[in-house]
Amino acid sequence: MQKTFFILIFSFLSQFIFSFVQNDETAPDFQLLDSNGDEIALSSFRGKKVVLEWTNHGCPFVAKHYESGNMQSTQDFVKDKNTVWLSIISSAPGTQGYISPEKANELTVSRNAFPSHVLFDPSGVVGRKYSAKTTPHMYIIDEQGLLKYQGAIDDAGGRGFMSKDLFKANNYVKKGLKELASGEEISSPVTKPYGCSVKYSS
Amino acid sequence: MLFFCLVLSINQSLHSDSKYFASDSSIELLSNSNSIQPGDELLVGVKFRLEKDWHTYWKNPGDAGEGATIKWNLSKGLSASNILWPGPERIPVDPLMTFGYNDEVVLLTKIASDGKVNFPLKIEAKVSWFTCKDICIPQEGTVDIEINEGNLLATSHDLELKKYLSRVPTVFSRDFRVEELDNKFFFQSDVLGDEQYTDVYFFPSEYGLTSYTKDQIFEKNQNSFTLEIEASEYSLDLEIFEGIIETSTADGKKFFSISYPLESDEPKGDSSVFLLILFAFIGGLILNIMPCVFPILSIKILRFVEHSENSSTNTLKYGLFYTFGAVLSFLLIALLLVILKSSGESIGWGFQLQYPLVISILFYLFVALGFMFMSSLVFGSSLGNLGSFAQVKNESLESFLTGVLAVVVASPCTAPFMGSAIGFALLQPSLNSFVIFLSLGIGFALPYLILSIKPSLLSFLPKPGAWMETFKQFMAFPMWASALWLLWVLSGQVDQDTVLMVLIGGLVISLSLWLLEKNTSEKVLIRWSIRVLAIILVIGSISILPTQYSSKENQAEMPIYSEALLNEYLSKNKLVFLNFTADWCITCKVNERVALNSEEVLSILEQKNIKYLEADWTRKDADIARKLEEYGRTGVPLYLLFPSDGDPIVLPEILTKDILLDYLNELT
Repeated sequence: MQKTFFILIFSFLSQFIFSFVQNDETAPDFQLLDSNGDEIALSSFRGKKVVLEWTNHGCPFVAKHYESGNMQSTQDFVKDKNTVWLSIISSAPGTQGYISPEKANELTVSRNAFPSHVLFDPSGVVGRKYSAKTTPHMYIIDEQGLLKYQGAIDDAGGRGFMSKDLFKANNYVKKGLKELASGEEISSPVTKPYGCSVKYSS
Repeated sequence: MLFFCLVLSINQSLHSDSKYFASDSSIELLSNSNSIQPGDELLVGVKFRLEKDWHTYWKNPGDAGEGATIKWNLSKGLSASNILWPGPERIPVDPLMTFGYNDEVVLLTKIASDGKVNFPLKIEAKVSWFTCKDICIPQEGTVDIEINEGNLLATSHDLELKKYLSRVPTVFSRDFRVEELDNKFFFQSDVLGDEQYTDVYFFPSEYGLTSYTKDQIFEKNQNSFTLEIEASEYSLDLEIFEGIIETSTADGKKFFSISYPLESDEPKGDSSVFLLILFAFIGGLILNIMPCVFPILSIKILRFVEHSENSSTNTLKYGLFYTFGAVLSFLLIALLLVILKSSGESIGWGFQLQYPLVISILFYLFVALGFMFMSSLVFGSSLGNLGSFAQVKNESLESFLTGVLAVVVASPCTAPFMGSAIGFALLQPSLNSFVIFLSLGIGFALPYLILSIKPSLLSFLPKPGAWMETFKQFMAFPMWASALWLLWVLSGQVDQDTVLMVLIGGLVISLSLWLLEKNTSEKVLIRWSIRVLAIILVIGSISILPTQYSSKENQAEMPIYSEALLNEYLSKNKLVFLNFTADWCITCKVNERVALNSEEVLSILEQKNIKYLEADWTRKDADIARKLEEYGRTGVPLYLLFPSDGDPIVLPEILTKDILLDYLNELT
């Protein structure tokens, strides 16, 4: 009873104290169309972990992560771990990365990638809600729907990125999921996202 | 065009050159001299030429992008410095902000030679960079130059290199400070008279310090400026405020590097939070024996002795309800504090004793409780019903209310004994504040709970009897002692007449309680009229309670400035500290938070009997404007110290506690 009350108070308060998405809070819900034309709601994945990946295939940072196989390796890592992988495209119509559903599916096949869904957010509403800044920009949400991680995919960002070996980098998404699985707190819950700017409509 | 570039780039990459053409940009390696003597130093630079509206990035690119990298391949005996980055431009990419260079830039490097170099020397740079417009293109190219033996001789690029060198930040040599208040950083510095800054902007070195997108507010004062910078939306708790500032004057822009250690006043790590929780728990335990709380609890506990003979099974239930009441009350207090804090009030614990109304009500409460202990007046019949005001037959509810009452009477006692610990808790994130208050509540309720689980622990007490009545009466004295203390606190906030009114109110409360006690008439009408009379008396005594500060001393501390008042003080040879301020003046507010309102300063003002005067210029005021003009000012802040003899001392516009204390200490 007291605990319920306590949680109630806090969730009530958190609404007006914070204005940005903060870790350990309920990740904002959204409904977006995926590349197969289905409407996908974040809330329907309660009970599973969710990884959000902001993407834009034309961005050289994203391209390097896919060409090196690093992104696929991260996707492979979450497979069979009760985890959903959502790739989100917030590119506005006419900007880089804005693609048709068919093209998205084609990219998934040609890049040998396996996101659970590729979602379209051409208005940028969801991206702005999450303050997604770059492609890639990664988020981890736990089974309770709480945001647990936001930031870069790994620590390869910074000058000289293009010549770095991504498999030698410290992959924050893999590490965070490992820590969550063993019941620990994520050791670096916020990191600096790096990459191209998300091509929002202005 | 593209074709032309491609042809060129293929063409150029076949043999090394000082120029390299990529698709939308080109690079060129420049040197300030083509010849050196062994031991000389060269200034070289990689010049990026970008298509119109394209940009490349600073070392901290902001929200997106990446700065260039240069890998040097040098002849033996040469060594390269780090890149000297010219000050960047702000390049907004709605809704993001990036830092970089539009159109063209030269990234500089100093190349030193030792005494044993073999000519000709080769300097080769392998450069990778991004050129971006709405999209980004990664590019890479290699450029080189040859250096021969000879005296340093300026090349045609020398001027351009010097131009960019002048944009490389130098260490900011002026005094400055950075204050962190309410999720904002305030960068403040002195200005020399001849430098008329029209704007200042801060570029952070690292992510997680300041917000990239929010506007920075520049406030120019007479001899100083303040820059208000929003903290990063995602604080990474950096320990150093590092970056460069761009200053704009009529002559153009200049860049300075700054680095300032931040005080981390918030405890970090789980261990310290754990420690706070532990302290709160112990503090809660200790509260039980405070003079405000002990009488209520001890009398309440005595009923266990009474009851232990018959139904001891129920005592556990009552103990739990008491615990619930107490813990819930503490959580409600925490909720109130968090709400107040989030609405921007700067409150600390003990805030409840800053309101005369709250103090007076607590005073009445303690007087009344003392009276009830002393008299035989109890609502209901048994000792145990003490502590709840209503005639509650439901003992669960009564136990709950006792828990609430115990927290209410504990509240004045927490202030002097636990103020700092709870104040510390309030600095914590909200969740931690709740946990700390929860721990406090549990600690507070625990002794009672234990006794309710095992009343036999009290078996050492004598059998119930007349001694209990004596004990109860004696317990009135700590209650009244607490009442006295509250009155003393009140007397610091309101004037003598108001204190007298509150004392009269206490007397009236006692009178009405006495009436209720003696009200044993058989006649219903008389019984009820006396009850109504008592209630009217109580309402009357509450209606006279003070709601505002009315202390004359207080007014003396915070009087409104007027020329006449100042002259009056000066004619009496008093020491005066005159503060010209305004609500909209950021610098003033920072100074007040950081220096003026510190306890040391307030105590020295009192100690040396320095009269503090505040001239509030929030609304334009001709008198204040005239006074400012006397000191050659057109705006606030202005701080003046009037010694008992001689001319006033003008204080710096940027006050620190130490500076202010020095001045105040020396004032005679």
